Amino acid sequence: MSTSDETLALRPEVATFVEEVRRHLADLDEETRDELTGGLEADLADQLADGTPLGDPASYATELRTAAGLPERVRRRRGIGAARLTRTPGAVLDGIRDRFLGAVDDPRIRPAWDLLVTLRPAWWVARAWIAVTLLDVVAGGWEAVSLVPTLAVPGLGAVLLLAAVVLSTLIGSGRLWPGSGPDRSIGRRAVLLAANTAAILLPLTWSLPWPSYLTHDPFGSDGYAQAWSDVTRQGLLNHGHQVTDIFAYDAAGRPIPLVQLVDQDGRPLDIPLADATQWDDQTGAPIVACPARNGDAPVRNAFPFARLELASGGPCTVERAAGAQAPAFPLATLPPVTPAWPAIAPAVPATAP
Amino acid sequence: MDTTQLLRGVLDLAVLAVVEREDGYGYDVVRRLRAGGLTEVGDASVYGTLRRLYAAGALTSYVVPSDEGPHRKYYGITPAGREQLIQQAKEWTSFADTVTSLLPSPHRPTGAAR
Repeated sequence: MSTSDETLALRPEVATFVEEVRRHLADLDEETRDELTGGLEADLADQLADGTPLGDPASYATELRTAAGLPERVRRRRGIGAARLTRTPGAVLDGIRDRFLGAVDDPRIRPAWDLLVTLRPAWWVARAWIAVTLLDVVAGGWEAVSLVPTLAVPGLGAVLLLAAVVLSTLIGSGRLWPGSGPDRSIGRRAVLLAANTAAILLPLTWSLPWPSYLTHDPFGSDGYAQAWSDVTRQGLLNHGHQVTDIFAYDAAGRPIPLVQLVDQDGRPLDIPLADATQWDDQTGAPIVACPARNGDAPVRNAFPFARLELASGGPCTVERAAGAQAPAFPLATLPPVTPAWPAIAPAVPATAP
Repeated sequence: MDTTQLLRGVLDLAVLAVVEREDGYGYDVVRRLRAGGLTEVGDASVYGTLRRLYAAGALTSYVVPSDEGPHRKYYGITPAGREQLIQQAKEWTSFADTVTSLLPSPHRPTGAAR
C-alpha cells in the first residue's frame, strides 16, 4: 500500500492549508465541514511527501465541495441557496454577517466602516472598562461612575482595569476563548455576541454623571430640559445640575422645616433616593437621604431630607434613620417676597389706605 | 475530449471499485486510481466523492491513529455500497458497449484486433 507510513509527520504548511480550506467552507455547518475535512491533513501530508504541491486552497475547497455534492458557496440572501443549512444557528449568524458585510461594502459607507474597523482596539478597551465598572457599580454601591473604577481598595480598580484591557484585547485578537471571527463553534460565537451586547446595553442602566452640556437645553426652555432629564434619568435637574435636595422658604423668607411638593398635575415632585445622596467634602463618605414617612412608607417628595452619613453606603432604613440629622438649610433666610396677586396673601397684613 | 468531464460521471463507480478491492484512506485511494490509469483525477474530487458516498451509506469510515502525524481516515465498502457498485458497473458496461457500437469499426477496441 503506502511506503510513507513511517515518514508521515505533521507539517505546518499542511495544517495552514487545511485551515484555509476550512475557512472557504465556513458557510457549511460544523458537522458537514468536519466530515469534509476529516483526515485531510494525513492525506495531504502523504501527497506532499509524494512530491505533489498543495495548490490553491480556494479552488481546492470548491472541488471538494462539488465532489461531495454540496451547494456552491453563495453570498446568502434570504430565500436563496441551501435552505436546509440556513436553519442552523451558525448559518443564520453567517447569513447576518454576510448581509452586514455586503451592506457596509457600499462605496458610501465603506470609508466609515474601514475607520471603525481600525478603531476596534478602542472598543476592546471600552468593554474592559465597562466590565470593571460594572463590578464597581455592583460592589461599590453609592459611588459615582469614574474613569478609573475605584472599588473598595485603593489601586485595585486600576490593576483590574489593566488586566481586563489585556484580556479583552487577547479575546478581540482571537488569542483567547471565546475568540473572534466567523470560523468558530456556535457556542463561542453566541457567548461573545451576548457579552458584547451586554457591554453595550448595561451602561445605559447606570446613573452616569452626564456632562451638563448633554442635558443643557439649546432652546433655553427649562421645561424642555426638565422633561428630558425626567425621561433619561428620572431625577431632577436644576439648569443641568443634579438636584439632591430642596429647601423651601416662606414669603417672609423663613425656612420651612418640611414641605410636600407636587407638579401642575398633582404628581409628586420627587427625587430618587439614589440621586439624593451627597458626599462629605472632607472624607468623601456618602451622606444618604432619610425621607420623611407616611406610616412606614417613605415620602420622596417631602423636603428637605434628613441626612445620615454612612461609612459603607446603603439606604437609610427605618432603624438607621434614628441616627439621622436634621438637614442644614443652605441659607438662613431669604429676602421677603410680595405675591403678584395680593388677594391670596394672608401673610401680608392689610394696611389702611 | 475533456476526460475530466467523463471522469465526473464515473468517479463514484471507480472509487467504489477501488475501495471494494481493499479499504483505503483518502490519498491511498487517489494513488490507486492514478496507478490504475486515471492519472488526471483530482485529489479533492476523490476526497469529496468519498465523503459523499460515506454520507449516502455506501461506505463506512474509521480512524486509524498515527504516532507520528495526523490520524488517517480509512474507508471501507458497505453492503449497500457493494450493491451500488454492481448496479453501476452494469450500467457502465451497457453504456460503454452502446457508445462503442456507435463508433466506426476501426475505432472499436474489440473489433480492431490485427
